[in-house]
Amino acid sequence: MLVLLVIADPLEDSFSHLLARRAEEGLLAGGHEVIVLDLYDQGFQVAMSSEERAAYHDDEPICDPMVAEHVAIIQRAEAVVFVYPTWSSGLPAILKGWFERVMVPGVAFRFDERTGKVRPALGNVRRIVGISSYACSRRHMRVLNDNGRRTITRAFRVNTGFGTRTRWFGFYDSTESTESRRAEFAALVEREMAELR
Amino acid sequence: MTRALVVYCHPLTESFTEATRNSVISGLKAADAEVRLTDLYADGFDPGYSALDYANSRDGGIEPALTGYIEDLAWCDTLIFVYPTWWAGQPSMLIGWIDRVWAGAAAQGDGGATGYGLPKRQNIKRLIAVTSHGSTKFINMVEGEAGKRTLTRCLRSTCHWRARTTWLALYAIDASTLAQREAFLRKVERRISNLT
Repeated sequence: MLVLLVIADPLEDSFSHLLARRAEEGLLAGGHEVIVLDLYDQGFQVAMSSEERAAYHDDEPICDPMVAEHVAIIQRAEAVVFVYPTWSSGLPAILKGWFERVMVPGVAFRFDERTGKVRPALGNVRRIVGISSYACSRRHMRVLNDNGRRTITRAFRVNTGFGTRTRWFGFYDSTESTESRRAEFAALVEREMAELR
Repeated sequence: MTRALVVYCHPLTESFTEATRNSVISGLKAADAEVRLTDLYADGFDPGYSALDYANSRDGGIEPALTGYIEDLAWCDTLIFVYPTWWAGQPSMLIGWIDRVWAGAAAQGDGGATGYGLPKRQNIKRLIAVTSHGSTKFINMVEGEAGKRTLTRCLRSTCHWRARTTWLALYAIDASTLAQREAFLRKVERRISNLT
């Protein structure tokens, strides 16, 4: 499978980057082709610009060459893996911005001309994986609602293939974690990614 | 007297979101509230939480560009977000404000950190969102209503323990009529003017 790996973490030596590397190793071991998009490293523009918003409903909603590159990849990808730290129960702004700027009409969905309804356009994507670290406990996250996870496994998923399966790897209580628990989690991610089918 | 901070987020002028913002402001004036307005796009706010922000939150440093925003947040007792809902939630520009100003400036919070990174904001007694959705309420429920819950649960949990939340949303704006949109604007103004 062609797998797109999207990373959103400002710190180069972060746990997210370690997890992303281990996920990539696992995917390669599983015989997959992997394309990595490190949003901070690429200097991806966070917010939708006024120019992009004005063009959103036109035939040419893509104004940034970097966005066009990302669009070309997502349209071929069979699986997408997201790696990010959960902040304020949601996605980091740069990753939310990636959805807003890359997943535009004609890429992630189409407006049905007749009914005006939104139709999915990413039928090529069959697997969605999220790998995220949380400062709080799993129980606390459940009370607050995991908004980042829902954005990916629900809002994004409805734009992909009908039978798309999702997997989630949450590393909770990350601020109080030990070296061994982190290593164990990273090993789990690598093992599971090697078995992604 | 109500001290209201309006955080407004839309890239275009003459948008429907701008019209709702104007309704919010006139509602607040009718309620005799003190008003401060933050226009993130007009300010050219940088929404990217950076490695430097991370270092600051550990060392208690403060990014000079953020001081005004942090001051406004500490000043208000009512916080009103006005934004369009994109991808089930707040626009990345507004999330960037939450990442950097609300959460990122943890060292400047008045009640210390809350166990999951967010500082307490005891001064905030009222949280309000005024937003519009392209899709219907049903589709938003299927998609998990991330934007609504970010406000009513996550951010709410760090405010004053008796803080109230108000959700004013126009669903299915793509299929709405002019009359429906005008009715929503009137409703927003009325509800905001009856705040206290």
